[in-house]
Amino acid sequence: MNRRSSLALALTATFAVAGSLLVAAPKDRRANNTPAAPAAAPQSIAVNGVADIDPTKAFGSKNAPVTMEIFSDFQCPACKQLFTTTNQRVMENYVDTGKIYLVHRDFPLPMHAYSRVAASYSRAACHIGKCEQVEQVLFQNQEQWEASGDVKGTVASVLSPAEMKKVQALVDGKTLEPLIDRDKQLGQGYVVNQTPTSILHAKNGQSFPVVGFVNYDVLKTFLDQLVAQK
Amino acid sequence: MQSAPLNFRRAIIWLGRIVLGGIFIYAGYSKLFTPNLMTQSFFMLKFSVLSNLSNFGQQVRSYHMLSESGVTFVSHFLPPFEIVLGLLLLIGWRLRIWASIVTAILVGFITVVTRAYLLGLQIDCGCFGKPEPLTGWTVVRDAAFLVLALLMTVFAFQEARQPHPWSASPTPTPAPPQPS
Repeated sequence: MNRRSSLALALTATFAVAGSLLVAAPKDRRANNTPAAPAAAPQSIAVNGVADIDPTKAFGSKNAPVTMEIFSDFQCPACKQLFTTTNQRVMENYVDTGKIYLVHRDFPLPMHAYSRVAASYSRAACHIGKCEQVEQVLFQNQEQWEASGDVKGTVASVLSPAEMKKVQALVDGKTLEPLIDRDKQLGQGYVVNQTPTSILHAKNGQSFPVVGFVNYDVLKTFLDQLVAQK
Repeated sequence: MQSAPLNFRRAIIWLGRIVLGGIFIYAGYSKLFTPNLMTQSFFMLKFSVLSNLSNFGQQVRSYHMLSESGVTFVSHFLPPFEIVLGLLLLIGWRLRIWASIVTAILVGFITVVTRAYLLGLQIDCGCFGKPEPLTGWTVVRDAAFLVLALLMTVFAFQEARQPHPWSASPTPTPAPPQPS
């Protein structure tokens, strides 16, 4: 009786395993026929108490006394002005000198038809190490691609065909979209309701939102004060 | 002395003073103190105001009509001037002068807003501190303000030339004859 029960149990287990394998097998084959499932979103980091930073869109030393997050939209004129004027000088005088850790956050506004597409291409370019070139070309040619809708062509103008192929694969794969969504969620958490919005995080844990375009000379007074804080 | 009754002309002057005065004060205030207002210290407050003016400057710049020095002048001069004009309208002192200036400013506003709208510029109108896309509604609203300002100004001049008999300065009544 005992031997019979053991045999029955063993047979049942064998059939159960075999059955589950048979059921699972077609799913695996279907998976092989369809495009690759999106890979897990790349790892984000936390610096100076600021979480969910995509390191490919962050610049400067992680030990900098001030972390500056900029929520921007590639199609917003004030963002263009901030990036092409103020931001350039902040990069030279504060980021490159280790005083500020700068984080670019995507905050594409629904009112702009192509800003989400531009954010996707920019993010992909950052992940192949071409962040600054692509961000720059998108902002500098904002009026042109805004009128034509040709974001891809604008991005391609500063990348080699091989680089563009990688970027296009990342955009098509949509693996980086969660990072853009996460930036947007973070912005909504800070109650960002216009772009650009910069959040300055001091070493002592204080945060200061600065909404809208700020010219460099005005921002400099504030940055110097924050950097000097113990 | 009894005050004059509220006829149509005086009603429009009052309406213009209250509505346009309020709008001008709000427009100037919002440009100076929004979107940034940090009051922890004088330094923070100063930074907030300067950053708001810088932000307003960007909105002025986006009209593509002024040089960089012109942008700086307008962005720093206009918001406090709007507040002063609004207060003067509410007070009503020398109304004809301030009503004329407000009308002239509104003619300027509607000109640049209409131009930007016709050119299809997708910009913030910069009318108030809050970001507000420039649309046909912006043009219509500014036109309504201009009509009110024009009526207020014209009526203010008429009121000064032909004051209502009740509000005119009383003519001296002849003294009763003294018994000799």
